[in-house]
Amino acid sequence: MEILYKYLTLDDPNVRYVALSIVLLGGVSGAVGCFNFLQKKTLVGETVAHSMLPGVLVAFLLSGVKNPYVLITGAAISGWLSILLVDAITNHSKIKNDSALAIVLSSFFGFGIVLLTMIQSRYLGNQSGLDHYIFGNAAAMSPEDSTAFAWVSILVVILVIAYYFNLKAVIFNPDYAQSIGINNKKVKGLISFITILSISVGIKAVGIVMMSALLIIPPTAARFWTSRLVPMLILSGFFGAFSGWIGAFVSYAKTSMPTGPWTIVVVSCIAFASMLFAPKKGVVYQRWSKLLLKRRINEENLLKAAVQNEVRGKGKLFTRESIMTRQFFEFKRWKRTIKRLVRSKLIHKVNTGYTLSTKGRSYGAEIDRRHKIWEVYLQRRMQMSLHLVHDEAETMEHFLTPEIENEILSELGLCSRFNPILEIHELVPDTELL
Amino acid sequence: MDAFWIILTGFLVASSTGMLGNLLLLRKMSMMGDALSHAVLPGIVVAYLISGSRASLPLFLGAIIMGVLTTFLIQFFSSKGKMQSDAAMGTVFTFLFAVGVIMVTRFAGEADIDADCVLHGELAFVPLQVSGFMGLGVPSPVWTLLVLLAIIQLIFWAGYKGWLITSFNAEYAQSIGVKTMIWHYSLMAATSVATVVSFESVGAILVIAFLVVPAATAYLLTDELRFMPVLIMVQGALSAVGGYMISEALEASISGSMSVMSFFLFIAAFLWSKKKG
Repeated sequence: MEILYKYLTLDDPNVRYVALSIVLLGGVSGAVGCFNFLQKKTLVGETVAHSMLPGVLVAFLLSGVKNPYVLITGAAISGWLSILLVDAITNHSKIKNDSALAIVLSSFFGFGIVLLTMIQSRYLGNQSGLDHYIFGNAAAMSPEDSTAFAWVSILVVILVIAYYFNLKAVIFNPDYAQSIGINNKKVKGLISFITILSISVGIKAVGIVMMSALLIIPPTAARFWTSRLVPMLILSGFFGAFSGWIGAFVSYAKTSMPTGPWTIVVVSCIAFASMLFAPKKGVVYQRWSKLLLKRRINEENLLKAAVQNEVRGKGKLFTRESIMTRQFFEFKRWKRTIKRLVRSKLIHKVNTGYTLSTKGRSYGAEIDRRHKIWEVYLQRRMQMSLHLVHDEAETMEHFLTPEIENEILSELGLCSRFNPILEIHELVPDTELL
Repeated sequence: MDAFWIILTGFLVASSTGMLGNLLLLRKMSMMGDALSHAVLPGIVVAYLISGSRASLPLFLGAIIMGVLTTFLIQFFSSKGKMQSDAAMGTVFTFLFAVGVIMVTRFAGEADIDADCVLHGELAFVPLQVSGFMGLGVPSPVWTLLVLLAIIQLIFWAGYKGWLITSFNAEYAQSIGVKTMIWHYSLMAATSVATVVSFESVGAILVIAFLVVPAATAYLLTDELRFMPVLIMVQGALSAVGGYMISEALEASISGSMSVMSFFLFIAAFLWSKKKG
């Protein structure tokens, strides 16, 4: 508890910079990742992050110093080259994007390993700290690093706001963007730029793999909650920042624990939870709504069958056997459906069987009516032959809303009191029932 | 003699992973090598903790189980969880890698796993002390490698037709009753095995490179599928020889040099195919 208090108040200057840096990094990369995510290019981050190793090492070899700004510049340049190369390979050969990413990743990183081993065999003792650019070291964050993260965050936010419209157009509808005079190439370049920017400052803090994870996972989680760009950007940024905050806390509370991996574990858990429990797109919601739909269809089928039996003069009392002549019900399904219908007072139990309540009868009749209306529509408008329309209507009857129904009727030039039961099937209505 | 063993190992790794890479390329799953080589880390750590030894077999098993599990999770998230498929892959392997790194850190004190070692070798096979090509003077690791690679080759050729049809036309294959998911998982299992077996000796980065670069080179050079295996092997052999020479000249990592050499060959093929139009 005390540790949590100390962490929250940011008393310790060390934790202050680490926490601040990681939160900023998580937020920025979460937001930036959305643009790659929506273009279905999430793995670009992985390739760029790996491709920065040779840049860092070349910068070190050329300058001979381990100044972070010099090394980050090197990283950014080789990250940029890797994107150019991926695009060149994809555009000028039959190699697909995923293979191009893997090719560039492995060769740039391999080249990085060559350079690293060369440096290790020559500049003994001077190269320590370079491996931070592979594995990350959040604990070594300094005030300058926090400042750098802050500047990068501000820059990214400004760029995204300034070019928001163009970014949105290019991501969701590149052809449209082109037609209204947006330069697709430039906007994609902008996306690459902010991606490279956040990766190049981030790899020193959390390492290559964790950095690409920060670009991939927050948008994945955010996507389950919203379909709109601004909420997604904000939510994704928030997920990244929040996980960074927890990750920094774990590593503060237990010093041996690494910040980056914990951040990723936290954000992954958010993503898994979102996948399961998010409203509308979550697995649980989808399963549940599917179940409800199935139940409703069963209920409607049963009511419709009962009404049809009544109309055909088979009496008001129905049992499983009498319904089965019209609609197949397995025993279990029958039991459950009956139970729900009785509970909602759409049918009543009458000694040996069941009978429709007034509410249930009008419900069932309505379903039957929709069925017939759709059949008429298919015949007259779609020119479908008679023996095909029934099966189509069997499904559609559960989905026709009163609005669609009215529209269909007016299109067919029929009044809203049109009763297809009378007109199509030419049945004599049982006036007592209807 | 060392040089011979090194080049032979490089060639063997290139030809077996290259075959599988050929199929991954056709299925647009080339990043799978990268994903698997990261994702198997927790499996290796758990296997190490359970068996308490650095013997290869438990670690292989751990890694292979993890590889199949990774494939399953990716498939599961994208089909059942409706995750965008590239994001599902990215989420799963980075998450597993993070878990692996945390486990390594957590057990570093008690067990004989050193976080630095594990990470420096890019993956957890440094505890096996077969980093680089050091173990090659001793015949036993070479022979295990040879046997395992031969098995992979056998499996590959045995299943070649099934994989081919499911890669080119999954819907057609399904319609004539081929179980596409089984072929998918078995290819992924084979890839995990190849990845794990190989990176014990050559390191993860060269496995990722050999999974995709030789296959891509061959793909640029020919449209005929039956020439591809030969081209892949030639590419692998040249990469192994050239890479070894580069590493001798620069005193640098052999694996890194081989992947760079392989990349040079790819670029040459790329320029050639561009010129040819």
